Amino acid sequence: MNTTFLGMELDNPVIVSAGPWSRDGQSIKKLIEAGAGAVVTESIVSDAILDVCPRIAYNGSGVQNIRLYSDIQVEGWEYEMQVAKSSGGRVIASVSAHTPSEVAYLASKLEKFGADAIEISVSNPMFESLEVAASHKDVVYDFTKAVVSNVKIPVIVKLSQTATNIIEIAKAAKLAGASGISCINTIRCILSVDIDTAMPSLPTYGGYSGAPIRPISLAAVASIAQSLDIPICGIGGVENYRNVVEYLMLGASVVQVGTAVMVKGPGIITEIVRDLEKWFCENGISSVSQIKGKALRNLKSFDEMKISVAVCKKEDTPCIEGCSDCTVACMYNAISKNGNDIDIDESLCTGCGLCVSICDADKLNLDM
Amino acid sequence: MNIRNIAEKAGVSVATVSRVLNHPETVAESTRKTIEEIMKSEEYVPNWFARGLNFNKTGTIALMLPNLLDNASIEIAKGVEDVAHQKEYTTLICNVENDVEKERKYLQILIQRRVDGIVMLHPSLEEKDFNLLRENKIPSVIIGENNHVNGTHTVTIDSRAAAAKAVGHLVQIGYKDIAIVCGETPRAENANKKRGYMDALSEAGIGFREEYVVEIPNTIEGGYLAAKRLLEMDNRPQAIFATSDTLAFGVMDAVHDNNLVIPDDIGVVGFDNVRMSNLVTPKLSTVEKPLHKMGVMGARLLIDFIDGDEDAFSGEDRELVLMAKLKIRKSCGHKERIGEMF
Repeated sequence: MNTTFLGMELDNPVIVSAGPWSRDGQSIKKLIEAGAGAVVTESIVSDAILDVCPRIAYNGSGVQNIRLYSDIQVEGWEYEMQVAKSSGGRVIASVSAHTPSEVAYLASKLEKFGADAIEISVSNPMFESLEVAASHKDVVYDFTKAVVSNVKIPVIVKLSQTATNIIEIAKAAKLAGASGISCINTIRCILSVDIDTAMPSLPTYGGYSGAPIRPISLAAVASIAQSLDIPICGIGGVENYRNVVEYLMLGASVVQVGTAVMVKGPGIITEIVRDLEKWFCENGISSVSQIKGKALRNLKSFDEMKISVAVCKKEDTPCIEGCSDCTVACMYNAISKNGNDIDIDESLCTGCGLCVSICDADKLNLDM
Repeated sequence: MNIRNIAEKAGVSVATVSRVLNHPETVAESTRKTIEEIMKSEEYVPNWFARGLNFNKTGTIALMLPNLLDNASIEIAKGVEDVAHQKEYTTLICNVENDVEKERKYLQILIQRRVDGIVMLHPSLEEKDFNLLRENKIPSVIIGENNHVNGTHTVTIDSRAAAAKAVGHLVQIGYKDIAIVCGETPRAENANKKRGYMDALSEAGIGFREEYVVEIPNTIEGGYLAAKRLLEMDNRPQAIFATSDTLAFGVMDAVHDNNLVIPDDIGVVGFDNVRMSNLVTPKLSTVEKPLHKMGVMGARLLIDFIDGDEDAFSGEDRELVLMAKLKIRKSCGHKERIGEMF
């Protein structure tokens, strides 16, 4: 299951993303010992400021966070890096800054302290700021170029969904010499509002992460993979081995896991890696390259989709007692209830496919 | 208790004790532990001065700043000291009071005292002064704009662009008659801010009016006097851009004394975002200069040079440019709620 990412030999394609769970040497070490292929440090800045409280809110599926950056100053990372790597493993340093010369300074420091690669964070969605560096290809180019010219280790650029056209940004990063792209960063959000107190979930805008952003990230990864040749690290809502395979099949070489580690602890990494290994074994796969991009072949452009007639067919499987979800959902009134079974009026069915996703009994299929 | 006594007590040579202090990795672990325990029980503290002679280092850096009482300078100084302290350097503070002769005098003293390096806050020094440092192999880093001396290392912001942004914001709000209260010091930096002020006016197609430019000492009193002069004009400006928060505080005081209200009668924007700018009424809109960070990065760069991580005398300028942002609060008269935040 080992894989090569940016020239680094990794035991597996599961990397832990930048966040408070990788805030210092000890916590990184713990994640490496839990089986992570590599760990990205919490974003390191040139002038660390103190955290605010509260800073994390969770609604059972997604997380909003306004956690800032590492509260350890650059000087302190010399020691933390030693601790992080004391039992082996790969550590990628995440750096964040406001100008090219500032980010380049940080990157060269972290290289000196032993980082195996640099991940440039150019898209902090927190606070009031609507514009992030990752929205502008020229800025991303300048940042990346400054870092690449100052370090010898591989440089990854972490992109944001905030960009109007993420492919253009990825191209700018590649042109500037980036060895890889990671995407996506968290998405600007307000998780919820308590209608009794009129209080938003957190006092300011934060970054949204977790399972709800996975579909958005899968699309970003696939788009970049289809457009340019650069190693991609998929980030967003990875909770289990299936999600890892989804990202790999859409063209990612590796994935990053963050929110799941925050909610379930480092043990989730051990679990994902173990299950992934099992799935690889069961399917006779020995390396990531065998499945990388496999689903891209089945991803068509809209023009390529054939205009075809399809109608819904039912299987003999019985309906779930009392369920009428498909009849309610059918916008074309093609499905009607008949005792504990259903009738489909093929003259009304337009083959949209919604009922197939809705049926929990796997009773419906689309006859193409 | 000196190094000789420790060596006698441990039954080793003075050289071995010295190695424990300076290159502990070269001493066998058991010997090292014994010596360390004796040093601990005898409360032995190495003579840092002698140690400095040995390493040709004194563990001291100097910070030359133009005005010890200036709010912005002191936040930069805090950044320098934070890093220096963490890297076990002592920081000497030299208050040069914008006087190039005093700067030169300090330079002589610092060379004699063999400081390991110098951080200077927008110095007035010239090439010959920096050559003196080069001859003495003392690295230096300049925070802020300077006299464009080649071969110097700097931590700056783009003052011109930042000032243009601040004045451009006033234009966006709808002001046309915008004055600038420009501090006489720091000279190079404020010249750039004035250029930025003119850039923003010309960008907006507003003619430049000499009478709306007041150059004055960079103090609260200076700001007060400048504003007083502007407010007495027949066509007094609708808004004032001050090149420092210190000046802006003086401007606000003068506006108040003239029974005018900020921002209803006149808008005010400062520069620096010193802590006090968030405490005055109305809260001051200003340019957030990353003061602490400039100090931090200046000290880091200097220590990189001292440690030999980078060559200070390679002839290549090392230039770190940091970002300044507009901090819109109440004093500029921006009406929309969102504008106070973004």
